[in-house]
Amino acid sequence: MSAAENNRVIVTDLVKNYGSNEVLKGLNLTVKNNEVVCMIGPSGSGKSTFLRCLNKLEDPTKGKIVIDGYDISDSKTNMNKVREGIGMVFQHFNLFPNLTVLENVMLAPVELKKADKAVAEKEARALLVDVGLAEKADAYPASLSGGQEQRVAIARALAMHPDIMLFDEPTSALDPEMVGDVLDVMKKLAKQGMTMIVVTHEMGFAKEVADRVVFMADGHIMEEGNPQQIFDHPENPRTQEFLRKVLNA
Amino acid sequence: MRKKLIWFALLCSTVFGALLATNSASQAAEKTYTIGTDITYAPFDFQGANGQYTGIDIDLIKAIAKAENIKIQLKPVGFNAAVQAVEANQMDGVIAGMTITNERKQQFDFSDPYYYAGEVMAVTKDSKIKSFKDLRGKHVALKVGTQGAAYAKSIQKKYGFTITEFDQSNDMYNDVVTGNSAAAFEDYPVMAYGIQNGIDLKIVTKPAAGGNYAFAVKKGENPELLTKFNKGLKTLKKNGQYDKIIAKYLGKDSVAKATATAKKQDNSLWGLVKQNHSALLSGLLQTLYLTVISIILATILGVIFGLMQVVPAKWANWTSSTLIYIFRGMPLLVLALFIYIGVPNLTGNKISAFIAGIITLTLNEGAYTAAFVSGGIRAVDRGQMEAARSLGLPYGKAMWRVILPQGVKIMIPSFINQFIITLKDTSILSVIGILELTQTGKIIIARNLQGFKVWTIVAIMYIVIITLLTWLSKAVERRINK
Ligand SMILES: Nc1ncnc2c1ncn2[C@@H]1O[C@H](COP(=O)(O)OP(=O)(O)O)[C@@H](O)[C@H]1O
Ligand SMILES: [Mg+2]
Repeated sequence: MSAAENNRVIVTDLVKNYGSNEVLKGLNLTVKNNEVVCMIGPSGSGKSTFLRCLNKLEDPTKGKIVIDGYDISDSKTNMNKVREGIGMVFQHFNLFPNLTVLENVMLAPVELKKADKAVAEKEARALLVDVGLAEKADAYPASLSGGQEQRVAIARALAMHPDIMLFDEPTSALDPEMVGDVLDVMKKLAKQGMTMIVVTHEMGFAKEVADRVVFMADGHIMEEGNPQQIFDHPENPRTQEFLRKVLNA
Repeated sequence: MRKKLIWFALLCSTVFGALLATNSASQAAEKTYTIGTDITYAPFDFQGANGQYTGIDIDLIKAIAKAENIKIQLKPVGFNAAVQAVEANQMDGVIAGMTITNERKQQFDFSDPYYYAGEVMAVTKDSKIKSFKDLRGKHVALKVGTQGAAYAKSIQKKYGFTITEFDQSNDMYNDVVTGNSAAAFEDYPVMAYGIQNGIDLKIVTKPAAGGNYAFAVKKGENPELLTKFNKGLKTLKKNGQYDKIIAKYLGKDSVAKATATAKKQDNSLWGLVKQNHSALLSGLLQTLYLTVISIILATILGVIFGLMQVVPAKWANWTSSTLIYIFRGMPLLVLALFIYIGVPNLTGNKISAFIAGIITLTLNEGAYTAAFVSGGIRAVDRGQMEAARSLGLPYGKAMWRVILPQGVKIMIPSFINQFIITLKDTSILSVIGILELTQTGKIIIARNLQGFKVWTIVAIMYIVIITLLTWLSKAVERRINK
């Protein structure tokens, strides 16, 4: 792979406005293949908005976003195709309550003809084994705990064989005793070489797993670096203040 | 998904197209004249004990058609509906005890008169009112669009009374009998016949402001029909058939016979059911047809409009909102009359009352359905659509597999409610003369004057089918929610 091809995500001067409210104020970020990037920062700083721009759940106002060589700021780009390559995991899971766990995982591959039904089912069951929920295949989401739901959501995203996974505070809505199971699944994924962008408040996870930590505040990337740099020697006063607050909490 | 939507739209337009086509195809066949008649205007137009329409008008037009060798189809729809249908080119002619007036000559061409009648005033048997002078400050009941009403209005200022107008003669009579109004105005032969047949009123004035009854066609249309009517009328007058017809309804013998039949009738609730069961049943069937067809079409239309409200396309949102606004905002009664009478005036194509009724209900109920369909879709958590799209599912697939199945559950109670409303709303279509349950009730009452009992029977029938429909819907709901 050449240097350029090695980049999965290239964001240049990204601006996002909601009406007159400028939420992202010119962000630049490049994510390499197999890299795990953790984003931290105070609530309201624009982390979710940034993630949602990457698969165009939000339309960027200005700037350029290139994902796996596709320029998604170009309106002619087929977003459905690009999205197939980007898995997303939401804070509130968003499992489909009208479908069983197995059907949730199989829906997209079957509907988008990635695999015929039998193959898709076999893969889906294998993914459920990976996230430790093989026995829940025929249950409906309503009967699962939050931690179980989030692991199904991860399996659902993986079923499309994405190259990139986006996580938006995947453990924030969970009871503390459920957090570990979900983080374990994510760690396993990182070890397998998945390219990941993870918005999180789990500093322990970020320290252990991240190749790079990005600190965001007020719609700007204030500081980025490897975990040691950010957690042990933060340079920006905003970063220092934020870490003091979350680590002493 | 988008394909499925297009198929739905195609299906809808095909159904409508087919309905319209069968209708215009029948026009092309050998000319049969449709003639509107009144339904509650004895002895000129009324339903006999056997359920057949009969009366001087009916016998006369049938005899003339036979003499002149023309094909006619009689449509007993009521005076107002008949007159408006002719104006709208929905029917070819009207014979309904219609008096020639200068005002009406603006819109209609009249035949030679076939009967002369004056207007009289009727009051209750124990009333102290003896002349127009006694009407000062009192209330008077009239029938919409009749010569009697015109006459009463012409003297209203002079004698200082107020008025209420009714669609049916029977309602007008009853308003006087119950004491709401002090007097009614009506053509002499009609009033006299009614009283002989059991209406509890008496005539207190001499026939006045007389007018000539004539057959009418729309101005400038069907001149050959008018010529044939005149020729036929002459023939009947010459050969004595005309006199026979008049004598059959207004002669001494006829009165005695009618009184005898009226006395023999079993007017208990059960007796009324037995006498009228076939009319009531066919009215009920018509109501059910209208309901079922309208529910199906309104649901299809409502789902399409509802989806058009939520899809990310401004023109679709706008179109759908506008149509919903119009058809929800328009009273059903106005919409029915507009479609039945207004649309043929605009397009020049006739539509049958039944099809006009179906279109009316489909548009109105469809608009309400669209509103709760889009509401149901919007009630599904936004995260559901985002999760589906993030997997790469296109909008249509996400809507079909993820959003709609959840939305439908939210909509079901509204659907059931709408089905029941549709069933009840069919009764409004009686204004355009569709012989559904309510119209059937009106007609039976016009004949036997048993308003309270007949409405009781009709009300019970509605309650029973609404109960059945509710049970059925709930069973379906349980199935879906399982
Ligand atoms: N759909 C929206 N409409 C208007 N403002 C929004 C919308 N989504 C987010 N915002 C605003 O954008 C800012 C950043 O939000 P968000 O990206 O959710 O921050 P974070 O995820 O870092 O907490 C906040 O001030 C929020 O109120
Ligand atoms: Mg957020």
